Amino acid sequence: MKEYDVIIVGGGITGAGTARDCAMRGLKTLIIERFDFTAGATGRNHGLLHSGARYAVTDQESAEECIRENMILRKIARHCVEETDGMFITLPEDDLGFQSTFIDSCLKAGIRAEAIDPKEAIRLEPSVNKTLIGAVRVPDGAVDPFRLTIANVYDARLHGAEVLTYHEVTSILKEGDAVVGVEVVDHHTKEKKSIRSRLVINAGGIWGHHIASLAGATVNMFPAKGALLIFGHRVNNMVINRCRKPADADILVPGDTICLIGTTSSRLPYDQIDDMKVTPDEVDILLREGAKLAPELAQTRILRAYAGVRPLVAADNDPSGRSISRGIVCLDHETRDGIPGFITITGGKLMTYRLMAEWATDLACRKLGVDKKCQTAEICLPGSEESEKKSEKTVRTGLGAKAAQGRHGTRSVNITRNDKRDESLVCECEGVSVAEVNYAIEELNAKNIINLRRRTRLGMGTCQGELCACRAAGLLAKSNGCARRSIEDLASFMNERWKGMFPVAWGDTLAEAQFTSWIYEGVCGLDAFEQKEG
Amino acid sequence: MKFDTIIIGGGLCGLTAGIELSRKGQKCLIVSSGQSALHFFSGSFELCSSAEDPFQAMESLGKGHPYSKIGLENVRSLSSKVKPFFKEVGISMKGIKDANHWRITPLGVLKRAWLTMDEYATVPPEGRMPWKKVALLNVDGFLDFHTSYIAAGLAEQGVETVIKSISMPELDHLRNNPTEMRSTNISKALTGDAIGVLAARINEHAKDVDAVFMPAVVGLTGCSDVVRLKEKVDRPLNFIATLPPSVPGIRMQLMLKRHFQKLGGTYMLGDSVTGGEFKDGKLVSIKTQNHGDVNFCADNFILATGSFFSKGLSSDIDGVTEPVFGLDVDSIEERSQWYKRNMFEAQPYMNIGIATDNDFKVSRNGVTIDNLYAAGAVLGGFNALKEGSGAGVSILSALHVSSLILKD
Amino acid sequence: MSNKKQDTSFEQCMKCTVCTVYCPVVAVNPAYPGPKQAGPDGERYRLKNPLFYDEALDLCLNCKRCEVACPSNVKIGDIIQNARLAYGTHKPKLRDYILANTDIMGTLATSMAPVVNFTLGLKPVKAVMDGVLEVDHHRTFPKYAGQKFETWFKRYALKKQEAYDRKVSYFHGCYANYNYPKLAKDLVKIMNAVGYGVNLLEKEKCCGVALISNGFKDQALKQAELNLGSIRKAVARGEQVLTTSSTCTFTMRDEYEHILGLENSDVRENINLATKFIFEAVDSGQIKLVFKKDYTKRIAYHTPCHMEKLGWAIYSTSLVRMIPGVDFLMLDSQCCGIAGTYGFKKEHYNDSQKIGEGLFRQIADSNVDMVATDCETCKWQIEMSTGVQVENPISIIADALDVEETIKANTK
Repeated sequence: MKEYDVIIVGGGITGAGTARDCAMRGLKTLIIERFDFTAGATGRNHGLLHSGARYAVTDQESAEECIRENMILRKIARHCVEETDGMFITLPEDDLGFQSTFIDSCLKAGIRAEAIDPKEAIRLEPSVNKTLIGAVRVPDGAVDPFRLTIANVYDARLHGAEVLTYHEVTSILKEGDAVVGVEVVDHHTKEKKSIRSRLVINAGGIWGHHIASLAGATVNMFPAKGALLIFGHRVNNMVINRCRKPADADILVPGDTICLIGTTSSRLPYDQIDDMKVTPDEVDILLREGAKLAPELAQTRILRAYAGVRPLVAADNDPSGRSISRGIVCLDHETRDGIPGFITITGGKLMTYRLMAEWATDLACRKLGVDKKCQTAEICLPGSEESEKKSEKTVRTGLGAKAAQGRHGTRSVNITRNDKRDESLVCECEGVSVAEVNYAIEELNAKNIINLRRRTRLGMGTCQGELCACRAAGLLAKSNGCARRSIEDLASFMNERWKGMFPVAWGDTLAEAQFTSWIYEGVCGLDAFEQKEG
Repeated sequence: MKFDTIIIGGGLCGLTAGIELSRKGQKCLIVSSGQSALHFFSGSFELCSSAEDPFQAMESLGKGHPYSKIGLENVRSLSSKVKPFFKEVGISMKGIKDANHWRITPLGVLKRAWLTMDEYATVPPEGRMPWKKVALLNVDGFLDFHTSYIAAGLAEQGVETVIKSISMPELDHLRNNPTEMRSTNISKALTGDAIGVLAARINEHAKDVDAVFMPAVVGLTGCSDVVRLKEKVDRPLNFIATLPPSVPGIRMQLMLKRHFQKLGGTYMLGDSVTGGEFKDGKLVSIKTQNHGDVNFCADNFILATGSFFSKGLSSDIDGVTEPVFGLDVDSIEERSQWYKRNMFEAQPYMNIGIATDNDFKVSRNGVTIDNLYAAGAVLGGFNALKEGSGAGVSILSALHVSSLILKD
Repeated sequence: MSNKKQDTSFEQCMKCTVCTVYCPVVAVNPAYPGPKQAGPDGERYRLKNPLFYDEALDLCLNCKRCEVACPSNVKIGDIIQNARLAYGTHKPKLRDYILANTDIMGTLATSMAPVVNFTLGLKPVKAVMDGVLEVDHHRTFPKYAGQKFETWFKRYALKKQEAYDRKVSYFHGCYANYNYPKLAKDLVKIMNAVGYGVNLLEKEKCCGVALISNGFKDQALKQAELNLGSIRKAVARGEQVLTTSSTCTFTMRDEYEHILGLENSDVRENINLATKFIFEAVDSGQIKLVFKKDYTKRIAYHTPCHMEKLGWAIYSTSLVRMIPGVDFLMLDSQCCGIAGTYGFKKEHYNDSQKIGEGLFRQIADSNVDMVATDCETCKWQIEMSTGVQVENPISIIADALDVEETIKANTK
């Protein structure tokens, strides 16, 4: 039986980053994800490239980590980052006195923070609330968590790592106290199999609570739910924050063709983490507070609402969860619990995923006796390599090619267009071509429409899949040879889109939903292919 | 300007009413803000699809349902007029009055239908497939039609399929555009001499099959191309609906409109009604966006503005309103109750519509407007998708309201 | 763009694609991205980064048929025109300047009309136009009249207008002034017959439609402001401002605000097509038209794109149908392909003719004596492509009018 050096459990950004780091240091690596990459918290956040300013006043350490990683991501993940800059605005209802504390704390953490005149703020970002009385400009930006994760996985694979998606860990294999591998079930075939490894790294985010318990360890995590709204287009081009102590719905981030407001924050019972609902109250708060940042939001179409869950890790000496560690938590279960071969990496945030991966991989290397330095801060991700000036200028024409270049960076040259058929757009809102879909299927491990969405933005636009989903299903059917499975996949995809739409389904969004139902249920009869949940 | 009846909304419902009233000598105006939902037509009218006998299926419908308001006996007699009505417009439909047949959807499943345009593939009520082996054709590079889906569906019914794709120089130029290889653009290319070329291509692929199936991409502006193609193809030729836009649906819209205009009706497209003058419980006149101060007066008015998609109903975070006149709406108070979490469950919002009395007269602030009727998808109390009743309600409520107007 | 509110109607797009069905360009020229892609879809990307602007948007005719068809009230045509003006980098050519500046060409040409008409018709000149200026050699420039309408009016008609108590103002536009003064004279004839005097505007310039479509926004703005100034004065005198061209009317009523960002709502409702004004006056019983007994003709009406957008075909057609001897036929509303200066350009000639094909076939099959339409460029295109005579409804009414009986009927 094949044995890996390390198995990483969890296909979020932390797992992906750890897989990349491990593989780059020459470890024989396998990453296992129970659904698809970014299916958990990674795919459900702001996509904010924090400057750290938000944490500067309350948590200097996090702030410093953020700005360092911010600068690293700008370099190694260029194609996942938009260098928009951000501003922290003070509204008449806020205390302007907070501004100087804020700037001081930022500067202390090494974050460029500069007070600007409200008039200048309006000139820089015309959508901002014009009643603002103060603004501070900081190096915030936007980062696409899907792209970032996929690029990490892609690079891990280029360095020899192997990947299993739709495989869920059902138990942790142990010999004596030591962890020696995992048992997984394949969600498609329902087959079970055992996979051995010298180390298992638990990068399951909030679900890591459960993974740890399978290994016989207790890591107390408390799910914190954050709801967000996605708007139909880019209202703002700079990140807008409120210059006050962090609160609900006070960050508006532009991301690709949309912008999003978030988040609310509430504790959630652990048994609900796989079934989160955005409540009407949360929607109301987000809209009300969002309109204070950019009043235009009140008239802007809302595409969907969703909620992510962040793992808050209780300090080891406090199982009640009142004392929460906000930073990175890297647990060596050998020393902590007497379970050799098992590591948990958790806490932290999207921004610090690389650092988390570095810590976890450092620990793994120490345990495996491998003496290799971490290089993930220097070597660019695939798609973000420094390219010759010349090739960068060869911008392709047409929405499909231009949009793909944004999404896949330098790797977009690998999207092969054999003839005009490949240029045809599958998703017209987001400019996803046949060629890009095929690239995602063949190169980026996309097996269904939801996978395609995460790798290409297909179905993320205004119509939420109304036009493109059926076309994408057709292309998948061509690749997997099973029409029935593709149509069933189409039914679950449309249902998944609806779950994000209905909490905000009024106005144009309701009209769009009705139209989508007419087409898919009325004209096509898609309801016959509905997959019963569970 | 003075008319006998003004109809707001120029889709299937509005045009049916317009034609019916014009046939009886009325001077009618239709105001339509943009093109209608016929552009997404499946090729079939559904009357009531939950059972083989549509009239039997109707018996379980509630009191507030448009069919119940029309009266089931009345529904029966009006429904016998539908086929001849469309024949007169120039559209031949197949199907028998009291037994639903089946149509083949773009996903290859069978769905009940009441009347279907002649050129489409249908399966008789008892569900036995009339074919053993069919040729399944698609236009090369056309992404809104998937032969593999239909082949899988037919295979489950024991029908063998041969899948082929058709290329023609006439279609090559469309491929140069990444978004315009669409049903309607294909149909614009597949006309005139191209029909002969297409027929020859089809015949090459259809040697030993019982029938040929292809996407409905012929005949945008009239029936003649379809007729010519059927003549030239050696085997029985059947169309299957594509993803939108629907070529036959647009043809139906165009033919209904032409017929209405031929009967003397006035059709104003791309205009919307901005409001009306009410007097003594009646609507006296309306104004429109394009015509500013001009008053369009009529004895009767029909509101056939459609549902949410067509902007006949508008919704915001606080509730549902009727945007033209602010008419009373049969709504659901709590927004969270508009939806079911599963897309494929019956969605309560689909049942929201204009409040009317049993004669389809609308009300404003609780007061009935005596000469303003609502018809079609703007009505509440029914779920067109789940019942399979969308076209039926549109056509029959239009005919019914027209007869009420003519009775006056 | 500074003085304009950002148009967010693209948000209302349901992606139903109905607009692409009615786009005349997309069916004949695959280089054009189509109204949905060029309009609402593209706008989201242009907001992200102006680099997503596609120069192929120049292929849009600005016919607005996409807007008329849209069930969701998206201002597709406006979005595209505004994107062209905001992001377009194509420099207009000398040819575009010549085509767009109808006033300058008109002034020069009318003063030496026979020479110009002769020269523009000569084969070598056409070859130069085609080769150097890239004006397609199939096109014949509309003939220039020997005497401008304005000159005629001042010389022969101005005095007479004083006799009328009720007055209207007339925005004649370039075509009626330079190329076809008969149309303008016909309007004066009708208005006088029904008891209205006609005033010219204090000053008028070309409405600017060709300047906008050729990218000369600043000059279009200047001319628009001048026109609005004159119109305001006429309205202040209590006069309606009548026009005989659907495109001028549409431009001054809608494009001034939507594209040029000018405030025109104070006078918008006073800018009217003459056919609308006359029809309403007849319909409400204020005036009467009496037609000749021996006028018989089979006439088809073609709805110009901007007339379709205005939604006013009903007035022109109702008026023509009032003539007892007219056998009337309504043509399916579709673009003729000329789209102002678009079809004159060599690179568009083939598309232009292909777009119009359906219409030309319909006219050829209809066996009519004449086509009526409210747009001068449609007239050139249809006459060139079908050989059938095309007239403005005002000219048709004027020809069919029994002037003496009409005057009698309108004097109590």
